[in-house]
Amino acid sequence: MTRAGRHVAALLALTLPFWLASPYFLHVVIMAGIFAVLALSLNLLLGYTGQLSLGHAAFFGIGAYTSALLTLRLEWSFWAALPGAAAAAGLAGWFIGRLALKLRGAYFVLVTISFAGVISLVSINWMDLTNGPLGLPGVPAPELGPWSLRTKGAYYYLVLAAVGLSYLACRRLVRSRIGRAFVALRENESLAESVGVDVTHYLVLAAVVSAALAGMAGSLYAHYTRFVSPEVFLFTYTVTMVIMVVAGGKGTLAGPLVGAVLFTVLPEALRAATSWQWQMLAYGVLLVLLVFFLPRGIVPALSALRRRS
Amino acid sequence: MAELLQHLVNGLVLGGTYALLGIGLTLIFGLMNVVNFAHGEFYTLGAYAAFAALGLAGLNFFLALLGAIAAGALLGALCEVSLLRPLRRESIDTTMLVMIGVWIAMQNGELLVWGGVAQSIPHPFPTAPLVLGPVSVAPLRLFVLLVAAALIAASYLLIQRTKLGRAMRATFQDAETAALMGVRIERIHTATFAFGAALAAAAGALLGSIFLVYPSMGDLASLKAFSVVILGGLGNVPGATLGGLLLGVVEELGAGYVSSGYRDAVGFVIIIVVLVLRPAGLFARSERIG
Amino acid sequence: MPKRRAVFLTVLVVAALMAATALVEAQAPIKIGVIEPLSGPVAASGNYVRMGAEIARDWINSRGGINGRKVELLIEDNKSDPKEAASAAEKLIVRDKVPAIMGAWGSSMTLAAMPKLEEYGVPMVVETSSAATITKRGNPWIFRISPPSEMEALGLEQYVDKLGVKRVDFLAVNTDWGRGSIGAFGDMLKKKGVAVGAAEFMEQSATDMNAQLTKIKAAGGDTLFVTTAVEQITLIMKQAQEQRLARKIVTTGGSSSPTQLIKQAGAAAEGSYHIVFFMPWFPEAMPDGKLAKAFVDEWAKRGHPFEGLTEGFRGHDGVATIAEAIRLAGNDDPKAVRDALWRVSLMGVNGPIKFEKDGPAGKESGQSRPSIFVVQIRDGKVTLPDFLAKK
Repeated sequence: MTRAGRHVAALLALTLPFWLASPYFLHVVIMAGIFAVLALSLNLLLGYTGQLSLGHAAFFGIGAYTSALLTLRLEWSFWAALPGAAAAAGLAGWFIGRLALKLRGAYFVLVTISFAGVISLVSINWMDLTNGPLGLPGVPAPELGPWSLRTKGAYYYLVLAAVGLSYLACRRLVRSRIGRAFVALRENESLAESVGVDVTHYLVLAAVVSAALAGMAGSLYAHYTRFVSPEVFLFTYTVTMVIMVVAGGKGTLAGPLVGAVLFTVLPEALRAATSWQWQMLAYGVLLVLLVFFLPRGIVPALSALRRRS
Repeated sequence: MAELLQHLVNGLVLGGTYALLGIGLTLIFGLMNVVNFAHGEFYTLGAYAAFAALGLAGLNFFLALLGAIAAGALLGALCEVSLLRPLRRESIDTTMLVMIGVWIAMQNGELLVWGGVAQSIPHPFPTAPLVLGPVSVAPLRLFVLLVAAALIAASYLLIQRTKLGRAMRATFQDAETAALMGVRIERIHTATFAFGAALAAAAGALLGSIFLVYPSMGDLASLKAFSVVILGGLGNVPGATLGGLLLGVVEELGAGYVSSGYRDAVGFVIIIVVLVLRPAGLFARSERIG
Repeated sequence: MPKRRAVFLTVLVVAALMAATALVEAQAPIKIGVIEPLSGPVAASGNYVRMGAEIARDWINSRGGINGRKVELLIEDNKSDPKEAASAAEKLIVRDKVPAIMGAWGSSMTLAAMPKLEEYGVPMVVETSSAATITKRGNPWIFRISPPSEMEALGLEQYVDKLGVKRVDFLAVNTDWGRGSIGAFGDMLKKKGVAVGAAEFMEQSATDMNAQLTKIKAAGGDTLFVTTAVEQITLIMKQAQEQRLARKIVTTGGSSSPTQLIKQAGAAAEGSYHIVFFMPWFPEAMPDGKLAKAFVDEWAKRGHPFEGLTEGFRGHDGVATIAEAIRLAGNDDPKAVRDALWRVSLMGVNGPIKFEKDGPAGKESGQSRPSIFVVQIRDGKVTLPDFLAKK
C-alpha cells in the first residue's frame, strides 16, 4: 500500500462510525475487528512458527469466560478483567507450549484439538463455575469513568484500539530477533537448533503471546455480546480463524487483517444476498474457489501482482 | 462384572467403526499429507448413499452398502483429481483449507438436498438382542463389527499383498524412485484418496444403519478419526485399527465409570497423555506402510 | 392557455403520484422476523417451526392480511450458534426494520438475542425455549408462548400417582433444556414423595448412550424420564431395548414426535408416555378442535411429514400471536406492537394464548399458559394414556 493510501485508510478507519450510519454494518465491523485480533494471534503460531494450532478457540473461550466471570462474580472493572483474561489464556498457552515440547506437525495439532475439546466439555459440565449450558448472561459493558461503552460507536473505537495494538505488537515481535527465530524455526528447525536457537523457549513464547492475544479477543467479545456460553468453544470458530489466516495470507502481517474483514463480511453479505438455504453452501464453494485460484492467500497474491506490474 | 462386560462389548462395536474411519484417514493424512477435514463428509455421504439406494432405488441392504462404498470412492477420486492434484505443490495449509471448503459445501449441500430431518436406514436384521451370558448385543451391531473387521482385513491385504498396494507403499516412501520405476504417481494418489474415502463411506453406511442419518453426523466422526490416526501413528494401518478399538473401549469405560458428561473428554485426555509420553503414537514399533 | 394546461397537468401528475405513493405504502407488506436453527443438529425442529410459521402467514394473507397489508416472513438461520442468533436479530431489526421477531428455538440462542431486543426496542415471541431465566431476567420485550420446564412439570403433577411412579431416573441432553427439565421435574416428583435415583446426561450430538443406560439399569428405578430431541430418544429407546432395560419411559419437552418414534424405534417405543403440547392424532380433542384439524389438514396438503406437527404448530402460534398484536396496534411500530402483545387474547393451535406478567417488577416479560397433554404409544399407535382411557 502506498503511503497516501495508508493515510487515507487510517482516516477512514478513525472516522468510520460517522460515515457508516447503519448500526448493523457497525456490528459487522466490530465482529470483524474481534476476529482480526484472533487471526493475528493464530498467525503468530501458524504463519511464523509454522505450528498449526487447531484449538485456538480454547484460548478465545478461556478469555471470554475469564473476563465474564471476573466482572460478574468478582465485580472487577472491565479494564482489569481484560488483562486478566489475556493472562489466563496466556497461561493456557504456556501449558500447551510446554506440553507440545516434543511434538511437531500433526501431533501438535492433535494436542491442541484435544485440549480445546477438554476445555469445552469442562465449560459445559462444571456448572458451579461456568453455569454450564445456560451460559452467563448480563455481562456488563465496559465503563470509562462516567461513560458506558455500551454504544456501538464507542465499542468500535475500543476494538479498533485493540486491533491496532495487536498489529503493532505482532509487527514488533516479528521484526525483532525473536521474530527471526520464529521464522528460523519454521523453515528449518534442526538447522535453527544447531546455530543455537533455543527452540523450546521460542515455541513456548509464541504460544503464550498468541494465546494471550486470543484471550484478549475473547474478553472483547464477551463484553460486546454480553452473553457467554459454551458455544464459544465451537470448532467452527477455530475453523473460521484458520480460514482467515490462510486465505488472507499466512506469514504476512496484513493477511490476517484482510482475511478477518473478508470472512466476517462475506457470510453476512451472503445472508443478505441469498436465502438461508444457500448461504453456507455458497460460502463453502466460494472458499474452495478462492483457495484454488489464490493458493498462497490474498495478500501474497496482491504483492506478487504489484511486483509484476 | 456384568456391567463391565457390557461396557466392553459396546466399546468394541463402536471401536470397530472408529478403526474403519481411522484407516481411511491414516492413508490420506499420514501418507498423502492432506489434512482432510472433509473426511467426515465422505462418512456422511456413505450413509446418505445407502439411504438413497435402499429407499429410492429399492436395492437390498447389502447392495446398498456396496453402493455407498462405490459412491465414496467415486467422489473421493473426483475430489483428488480436481482439487488436490492441482494444489499438490502448495503447502499443507492450503490443501487443508480447500478441504475445509469442501467440508462446508458438502454438508450444506446435503442439508439442501435431504433437509435436516434425521433418517433411518432400514435393515433386515431382527431387533431382539442376542443374549450371550450377562451381555446383550443387537444382531445388527454384530454384523457391523464383522463387516468392519472384514474391510479392515481386506485393506491390510490390499496394501501388503497386491501390486497396487506395493505401488502405494513405494510412492509414499520415495516418490522419485517410484516414478523412475514406472509407478504412475498421480494415479496412486487418486487411488489412495479414493480408497480412504470409500472406507469412510463404508463406516458411514454401517453406523448410519445403527444410529441415524443427518447432515452434521460427520463432524464428530472427523475428529475421532484424527484421534485414531495419531494414536496409531501416521500411515500405520494396524496401528489405526488398534487405536480405533482402544478409543471405543476407553470412551465406553470412561462414560460408564467416570462421568457420562465427560465421555468425549476421556478420549481427549488419553490422546494428550499418549502424545506426551509416546509422541510417535502407541504402536510406533509395529509395522508401518512407509 | 398552455400555461393553465401545464399547471393542470402538473397538479394531475402530482396528485397521481401522491395517490400512488399512498397506495404503495398501504400495500407495503408487514415483515415479521423468524430466527430458527435451520442447519446443524436440530435442523429438523427448526424447519418444522418454519413450516408452521409459513402456514400461519398464508392463512393470514388469504384472509386479507393484517389491516389490509400482506404479511411477509423474513427467515434467518441461527445455525444453533448464539453468535449467529444475535447477528440475525441485529440484521432483522436494523436492516429489515421488522416490528417483531419469533425465535430462537434453543434457550442459548434466545438469551443471546435478548440484549438486541432491549437495545433497539423490538419485541420477540419465544415459541420453544424452556429455560426459566428467559422470562425472569427482566426483559420487557420478551413474550413466551411455550412452557418453561416448571410449568411442564406442574402439568404432569396430576398424573404422577396414576402413573404409579415410585422411583425415577433421569436421562437428559446436556443443555439448559435438559438440565432445567431434570431440575423442574425432580423438584415436582420429590414433593410427591417419589425417590429420585440417577441423573445422566449426554451431549447433543451423542449417538451412543449405552454407557448411561447401563448405569441407569444398575440404579434400579421403575421409571425413566427422558428429555431430548426425537433423534436421540429413538436411539435411547433402541439401545434400552438392546440392554433389556424394562421400565416405564416418560419423555418431556414436547420434542419427542411420537409418530417418528413409532416409525424409527418400532417396538422399542411401545408403552412409552410423552408430554406433548399438540395432539395431531386427535385434533378434535384440542381446545379449538376445528383450528387444530384445519392445521393438520393443511400440513398434510403441503406434503410436510406428519412427525413434524408436534413442533410445527409452534411456528403457527408464534406468527399468529405477532399478527394479532400488530392488528391490535393498528400499525407496525415495534413499541406499539409490544404494548399490544399484552392485550392479545387469541386461540392458537395449542390453546388460548394470553400473557401474564413474569419476572422482576417494572420490567416484566410476558408468559402465556399453554396447554399440556400426555399421550402414550400402545400397539404401535399414539393414544391417550391407559390411565386416562378408563375415564
